[in-house]
Amino acid sequence: MSTLDLLQGTLDLLILKTLSWGPMHGYSVARAIRERSDGAFLIEEGALYPALHRLERQGWIESEWGLSENNRKAKFYQLTARGRAQLRAELATWKRYTDAVAGVLAPA
Amino acid sequence: MARLPGIRRIFRHERDGDVGAEMQFHLDARTDDLTRAGLAPVEARRVAIAEFGDRERYQAETVRIDRGYARTVRVREFLWSVWYDLGYTLRGLRRSPGFAAATLLTLALGIGANTAVWTITDALMRRPLPIEHPDELHAARRADRSDGGDYYHSYPRFRRMQATMPEPSSLAAMSAMNRMYVTAGDRLEPAVGQLVSGNWFGVLRVRAAAGRTLAPSDETTGDAAPAAVLSDGFWTRQFARDPGVVGTTVRVNGTPVRVIGVAGSGFQGLTIGQSVDLWLPLTSQWAVRYRGNMSASDADLEKPWPAQDGIHWLTLIARVAPSAAVRVSGALDRQLREELEQEMTRMDAADRAHAAREHLVLDAIPRGFSGIRDRYADPLRVLTASVGLVLVIACANLAGLLLARGAARSHELAVRVSLGARRTRIVRHVLTDSVTVALLGGALSLLVAHWGTAVLLRSASSDPRPIPLAVGTGLRVIGFTLALSVLTGLVVGGLPALRVSRAGLYDAFRGTGRVVGSRGGHRVPLGRALVAAQIALSLVLVATAGVFVRTLRNLLAIDPGYEHTQVITARLDVRAAGYDYTELPALYDRLLSRVATVPGVRSASLSLHGFAASIGTSAFAVPGRTLPPGENNAQQNYVTPEYFATVGMTLVKGRRFAPTDRVGGPRVAIVSESMARHFFGTTDVIGQRFGTGTPPELEIVGLVRDARVNALREAPPRLVYFPLAQGPQEYINSLEVRVTGRPEPVLASLRTALRNVSPTLPVREIVTLSDLLERGVSRERLVARLAGSFGVLALLLAGIGLYGVMGHSVWRRTNEMGVRLALGASPGGVRMLVLRESLAMSLAGLVLGFVLLLPIQGLTGRLVYGMSPRDPASVVIAAGILLLVTTVAAFVPAWRASRIDPVDAIRAA
Repeated sequence: MSTLDLLQGTLDLLILKTLSWGPMHGYSVARAIRERSDGAFLIEEGALYPALHRLERQGWIESEWGLSENNRKAKFYQLTARGRAQLRAELATWKRYTDAVAGVLAPA
Repeated sequence: MARLPGIRRIFRHERDGDVGAEMQFHLDARTDDLTRAGLAPVEARRVAIAEFGDRERYQAETVRIDRGYARTVRVREFLWSVWYDLGYTLRGLRRSPGFAAATLLTLALGIGANTAVWTITDALMRRPLPIEHPDELHAARRADRSDGGDYYHSYPRFRRMQATMPEPSSLAAMSAMNRMYVTAGDRLEPAVGQLVSGNWFGVLRVRAAAGRTLAPSDETTGDAAPAAVLSDGFWTRQFARDPGVVGTTVRVNGTPVRVIGVAGSGFQGLTIGQSVDLWLPLTSQWAVRYRGNMSASDADLEKPWPAQDGIHWLTLIARVAPSAAVRVSGALDRQLREELEQEMTRMDAADRAHAAREHLVLDAIPRGFSGIRDRYADPLRVLTASVGLVLVIACANLAGLLLARGAARSHELAVRVSLGARRTRIVRHVLTDSVTVALLGGALSLLVAHWGTAVLLRSASSDPRPIPLAVGTGLRVIGFTLALSVLTGLVVGGLPALRVSRAGLYDAFRGTGRVVGSRGGHRVPLGRALVAAQIALSLVLVATAGVFVRTLRNLLAIDPGYEHTQVITARLDVRAAGYDYTELPALYDRLLSRVATVPGVRSASLSLHGFAASIGTSAFAVPGRTLPPGENNAQQNYVTPEYFATVGMTLVKGRRFAPTDRVGGPRVAIVSESMARHFFGTTDVIGQRFGTGTPPELEIVGLVRDARVNALREAPPRLVYFPLAQGPQEYINSLEVRVTGRPEPVLASLRTALRNVSPTLPVREIVTLSDLLERGVSRERLVARLAGSFGVLALLLAGIGLYGVMGHSVWRRTNEMGVRLALGASPGGVRMLVLRESLAMSLAGLVLGFVLLLPIQGLTGRLVYGMSPRDPASVVIAAGILLLVTTVAAFVPAWRASRIDPVDAIRAA
């Protein structure tokens, strides 16, 4: 199975969705995305960090240094209330988008 | 948040490191996972790095995002804190409206007065002419080595000078300004006219707002009506900016002229503080009966001036690049020298020596000419210093108030500091507070400044109309006010801010407790120092005001040498009415006989020159005496026989003029005492002869007391009076009337009478001599009045400041006073205690004030009259007034201290 280029802005949605399950550090986010998508996306994991920091700047997520499962210092991110609202909004948009695309592509 | 740059760098470095650590964790965790899945550690590492992608790039990108974020946070925090401080300030002002009003009013007056004076100084002293490249404008001054010389040249010389210019068209000429009468329709309006060469507008590069400006082709002596260009101001005032006026014909001094255009707006001529209403070509001099300032020798003023080389009446204006000015000036100087060499062959020795020293220089005139600039340079300097001092006093006053308020708030601030607020944050809070208040005051001050500027221009004018000074554009003024407001705010808030930043927590908390002893901490001395400073500056202002008030009184106490309370003068422009000189004697007879019938008139006379007007001088010779050039002249005036009786000049010896002194009879003269002493060395001059030629044609028949006919400040001039009947060609300028009762009712009927004699006779104004005299001291009156009001303001502020500090001190020491009273101090003793402290402050301030006075008094030197600028009496009186005011201000707190109930005071402790 070949990998897919991530659509513009979709990474943000994936991060927000992932974080909606609870606080986690950047590596867990990457792992979660990789596992859930079965490695379908062609995504350099480093690209995650500018995205995380951008989302933090938007006020949708917030961060805190803590200890990882192996007792190492790691930065944990979690959704803010505004982030949760943003996720809902983006999910709705995404659904309308895929529905529309699907509607067009559906065999008549 | 405002941090030191170094601190910010460390902070950013840590944040940048954060990103690195975060990514390092990611790579380590991935390597661990992969190793756990069975890869060799080295291989696991390689895969993890490959999956991560370009770490350098992602790290840089993330750091960039973080920095942007940090900046946004800083800006947001800063704006938020300013917003918070603003809210605090505004709430504070609203909570105590009385305090707010007093503060804002003080600031508005202080800043506004400074802005008004600055606006005028700026317009008068610094603003370049509103034309292109004003730095290229030069005026040709004829100077000798000893005096400044003058700018006047003849028309033929103008043409010769033009020929020597590298570029002839870059040299233009203009006459002095003179009053003219413009008739449009049936209205007769006085206006200020100036004659200029055809290329004048071209040299200045002033364009027309309507129609066109003068061109060289307008300089013709043909029969066509002369062309005229109106100023924008005159066009607005008289023609309501009607473009249709271009092309019409109006009358100037009775002669038809064609209006060809309107000069661009904002251009009032080259003299700052005087605006020209219309410009005419030089060649129209004879046609429009122009007769402005000039100097003449070997000339006939009753013939056209442009043709005569002996009449010097033109100022030469050259447009020369500053780099070429020296070269052009040299060429013009050579031309002048050449002309003088020729003239010198016809001169006597003294004149020749004088002429040999003469030379020509080009003066750069980027800011134009200005008589009022010289006249008001000193007053403006004193005013600037005074309003500056008033603002400093106001600042000290407000700083004192803020200190007191700061003391009341020190507990709150201490709590904020202990809760983690940075000291810089608190300082900024205090400064934001004072700057905000200052800016609010500054906004109000724009009104004060606007009004103040208008009042200054009106009251400084010796005319009924305000000085036509184009004052600053809004932006310049607003910029100045803004800068001054911020500065004021920083100064006012600076001391309390410093106090807050230095005060330890302990001090601040202790501030709410009670302090025993008169020097409770370091808080009181600062407040007292401020009060002492206010008293010092007030002394300067009050003493200066005293000097100016006494100067004015000295001037008004001068005996002018004539009677002014019951004399009215009508200033006429007979020449402008268009009479031929053959009609003059009949007109003068009609005027005198008609005016004599006006009720309330006791006597009437005519004179060539009125009072406080410019009077021509002539050179005279006395047989057997030689006086050097410049010393051999006297002012001359033509008067009718009743003149001396009408204006109340005392005839000391000899007789008045009589109807028998006529044309054809022996030429007679009456001289003033100064003239007699100067020319004859004695006042025993009746029957002596002098004159302009040989043998001397004039016989002295009378001697009158000296009179200050020009200005009160000027020493009485040497004066020679001739009977008007022996100068039948003279166009008189003045009519004097002595009234029997109050002069006011006669003013109107006199105007009617003059109109009856000739409806077209231009009457410039009808005023009492007293009013004319008053106008002569308008500058001194203005300075005295302003200095006086600043002095009163300073006194008021100093009094309030002292009251505030003493009141605060008594309140803080209630407990101590109670103890003193309980231990047997008498109420009087406690009162004295407080008064003594106030006195100590006042004396310290006065001593400081004496020191400050010395340099300030130097500024006023040329403005005082009849006394020393270091007048000790004014200083002593000022010191006395200050002591009185401060003692009165301290009395209320002192009285309150003596009324403290010891039991309450001690129990409250």
